[in-house]
Formats: sequence, structure tokens, C-alpha cells
Amino acid sequence: MDLFAQILVNGVLLGGLYAVMALGLALVWGVLNIVNLAHGAFIMLGAYLSWHLYTYLGIDPFLGLPITAILMFCLGYAVQRGLLNLIVRAPMFNTLLITFGLEVVLTYLAQIAFSADFRTINPSYAGAHISLGPLVIPLARLMAFGVAIVLTVGMWVFLLRTRLGRAIRATAQNLVAARLYGVEPRHLYAMTFGIGIGLAGAAGGLYGTVSQINPYIGATLTAKSFAIAIIGGLENPLGVIVGGLVLGIIESLTVAYVGATFGDVASFGVLVLVLIVRPSGILGKTA
Amino acid sequence: MRASDKAGEALLAVTDLSAGYGGMPVLRDVSLEVRHGEILALVGSNGAGKTTLLRALSRMIASDGGIRFAGRDLAPMTPDEVFGAGLVQVPEGRQLFDRMTVEDNLLMGAYRRADQASVRGDLERMYALFPRLGERRRQLAGSMSGGEQQMCAMARGLMAKPQLLMIDEMSLGLAPVIVEQLMEVLATIRTEGVTVLLVEQDIHLALSGADRGYVMETGAIVHGGDAKALIDDPAVRKAYLGL
Repeated sequence: MDLFAQILVNGVLLGGLYAVMALGLALVWGVLNIVNLAHGAFIMLGAYLSWHLYTYLGIDPFLGLPITAILMFCLGYAVQRGLLNLIVRAPMFNTLLITFGLEVVLTYLAQIAFSADFRTINPSYAGAHISLGPLVIPLARLMAFGVAIVLTVGMWVFLLRTRLGRAIRATAQNLVAARLYGVEPRHLYAMTFGIGIGLAGAAGGLYGTVSQINPYIGATLTAKSFAIAIIGGLENPLGVIVGGLVLGIIESLTVAYVGATFGDVASFGVLVLVLIVRPSGILGKTA
Repeated sequence: MRASDKAGEALLAVTDLSAGYGGMPVLRDVSLEVRHGEILALVGSNGAGKTTLLRALSRMIASDGGIRFAGRDLAPMTPDEVFGAGLVQVPEGRQLFDRMTVEDNLLMGAYRRADQASVRGDLERMYALFPRLGERRRQLAGSMSGGEQQMCAMARGLMAKPQLLMIDEMSLGLAPVIVEQLMEVLATIRTEGVTVLLVEQDIHLALSGADRGYVMETGAIVHGGDAKALIDDPAVRKAYLGL
């Protein structure tokens, strides 16, 4: 029983991190209708950025997250303005091609710049943990989970309550009406993509505190983010939390009880199941 | 009041405007003017080019010819700039943000306004003008009846503080009692200085509520003048009113 509880805790902590990884992908997908295959590569860049800030400037990975997020936001804004605005609203195939190309380029640039060696961000509290009865909760993972929840809920409040958030939702729902009411789409798309990439950067920084980083982690993270976005639905950031938790818990359980190699099988099995039973996501409305 | 100072002067002047889709001409040398503080009806049957004209005015499609609005040339502007200049459209089919609340829809109307501080007060003014919207402010716009959605679309347009509000097919698919309410609202907002361009297939309705009118047919203006005179014009009566 204790073991099961511990696995559940691990799954929940992992799920929070997964949620923030998927948040930016879901936002960009929902508003721009671009499935950004380079999303995981941006997470990877965020992780390296955080690693450099910590290793060379001594900035704590958690305190450095805002810096990582802001720099990645700027990169995202520029990529959308200079590249992706060319293909926004183009057929899905074009957007897949161009973002896949971007993923390949970013991965190999990272390999040239950072080498293929594994890196870890190891602050002094990396090995620390909190004991709750029989349960062991690693401090870094708990902090990453906390930041992930704050970011996701913050995103939800931003979309619901702010002027820019409202315009982003409006543009996702009805582009023609949004343009008629004064939304300048190229800027709005770039802001949206920037926010998505900023979140990816923050997710990367968190990932670096709990896991090893190398230039090739992007593709898997894209696939997981994609699964979470589908499980949670694109309408509501809180759905992404649900999707992240579902995936995190299922992966932890599968790894513990079936075998480490079956983790991804279970995740994507759930994805297929959700697509069959509730194509609009767990929290999504049924048509 | 500002509007009455300029009453009778042209707010919008369109000269020899032509436009179309993919090389297919739809509008042919359309000229018309909308004067400060009036309700102008632009009427014509389905396919006459009314909506195309509005799209050209909003710069959603390209066109040839002159468009002057409040002393400015609209031709080189983008849709968001036209909107910023005070020319606001309530589109056909309403085009609400269906999965957003009524209040969020109205706030989107005020998206570009510089005076964000006074937006709250204007929301309350809209709820006074359309009490039904006040009751449903937290409801998703797409879940309301057609009449309520039209009210929401008009209130969203008014939240932009337009100089000229262009309403495309306001009465389409709505019950006569609702249409009557909406016409009363137009009379009210006109007293507050908003000029109205009402685009309608229901020729009798539009002309009886307007000061002046234009009749459009296959992409060109064929009649124009005082609204009451147009209703009595034998040619208009014969062609459109079935009388």
C-alpha cells in the first residue's frame, strides 16, 4: 500500500511538470491552429538556458525561471513574426512541415553548441526530500510541481480576465469578428506564440531540475505534450492539468508494475482511448 | 451636441467604388454618402452587393475608388485601422464569440479603446439599453436566442464607441416584436450621436425607420433619397414592395 501511495505521489509530481510542458503547445494549437512539432525542442532550449544561467552565472534554476521564460518569449515572438506568420491558417500539412523542420534545425544547432553530453542542473537542494510518514517527496520535484500549478492556473486567469487574454480567446473562436473589432492578427499571433514558447522555456527549466538534458529530448516531449493537450482538450488550461496528471500517474503506475519500457505504451494507449471515447478531451464539451 | 453641429454634413463619402472576388466584379461604381447623425438605410435583395460593400468599407477586401470617412482616406487602411477610426461593423450572422460570455463579447468591442477606465461604465449603459443582456451577462453568447444574440452583437459594436455603426441584416430571422425593439434602440443611440448605416433585405422595415435610403441592385445604386419618398416611389414600390 505504501508503495502504491508513493508511486501515486511520484505520478502526480511528474504530472504537474507534464501539464506545464503541454500548456504552451495547447495554447498555440488552439489559437493558431498550428501543431508545433518544435515545441519539445523549445523546451530543450529552455532547459539549456536554465543550465547556463545556473552553471555560469550561479542563478538558482527556480529564481532563473522568469529570465528563461522572458528570453524564450522573445525568441517565440520573433519566430512567429518572421517565420510562422507566413503559414498561419495554411493547410495543416504546411504547418507540420515547417515546424518539423524547425525542430530538426534547433536540435542540431543545440548539438553543435552544447555537444551531445548529458547535463543536469544540480542546486544544493537537489537531493533533499521531505518525509511524510512512509512517503518520500523530493524537494526539487515538489517545487517544480508547485511552479507548474501556479503557471497553469495563472494562464487560466490570464486568458479569462485580461484584455490580451480575451483577445486571444476571441481570435481562436472567430478570426473574422476579431479582425472587425480591431485585433491585429500578426501581432496577436506572435504574442500567443511568444507566450507558448515562454511557457515551454519555463517547462524546460523545471525539467532540467528533475531530469537529465541533452539535445535530443525534444521529440519525446513534443509527443507527450501532444498527448496531454488531446487528453485535456484545447479550450481550458485546467484541462491540461488533468491531462498532465492522468499521463503522469499512468506512466508511474505502468513503470512500477509492468516495466519501465512500457511507460510510453501506456501513455499513448490512453491517448488512443480518449480519442475514441471523448474526442474533445476529458474536460472538453461533447459535440 | 457634437453630432447636431455637423448634422447634414457627410461623415462617410464613397465615390465610384468597385470591388469583387477573385476577378469577379460585384460592385460597380457605387457612390453614396452617410451624413452625421442620420439613420441611413441601404436596401436591396439578396445578392445585390450590400455585404460586399460593407466588407470593402471595412477594408476586409480590396477595392477601387474613394472612401473618405470623417476627413480621412480609408482606402489604404487595414481593418483594425478602420475600426480605430470609428467605423464599426455589426456583421451579418452576428459573428459573436460564441464560447465567450456576453460580457466578454462586449469587452471585446472595447478592445481597442484608449480609455479603458470608462469601459465599466459603458458596460452598465449597455445593460440599461438592453436589459436582457444584463440578465445574461455571464451566459455564453452562443447559447442565447437569435434576438438576444443580435442585441449582443449591437452592444458589442456600441462598446467600440463608433462614429458610424454599420449593421448588416439586423432583422434577418428575428421575430417582428424583437425587430421593433431593435429599431427603437437605433433611434435612441442616434440621439447619443451615433450615426447608423442599416443594411437590410427587409426594405419596408429599413426605409420606415430611416431618414434617407439607397436602393442597390446587382452591384449598383439604382435609387436614392429621402426614405419616405422612396417608400412612395412607384418604381420602388413595384419592384420591391410588391405593391
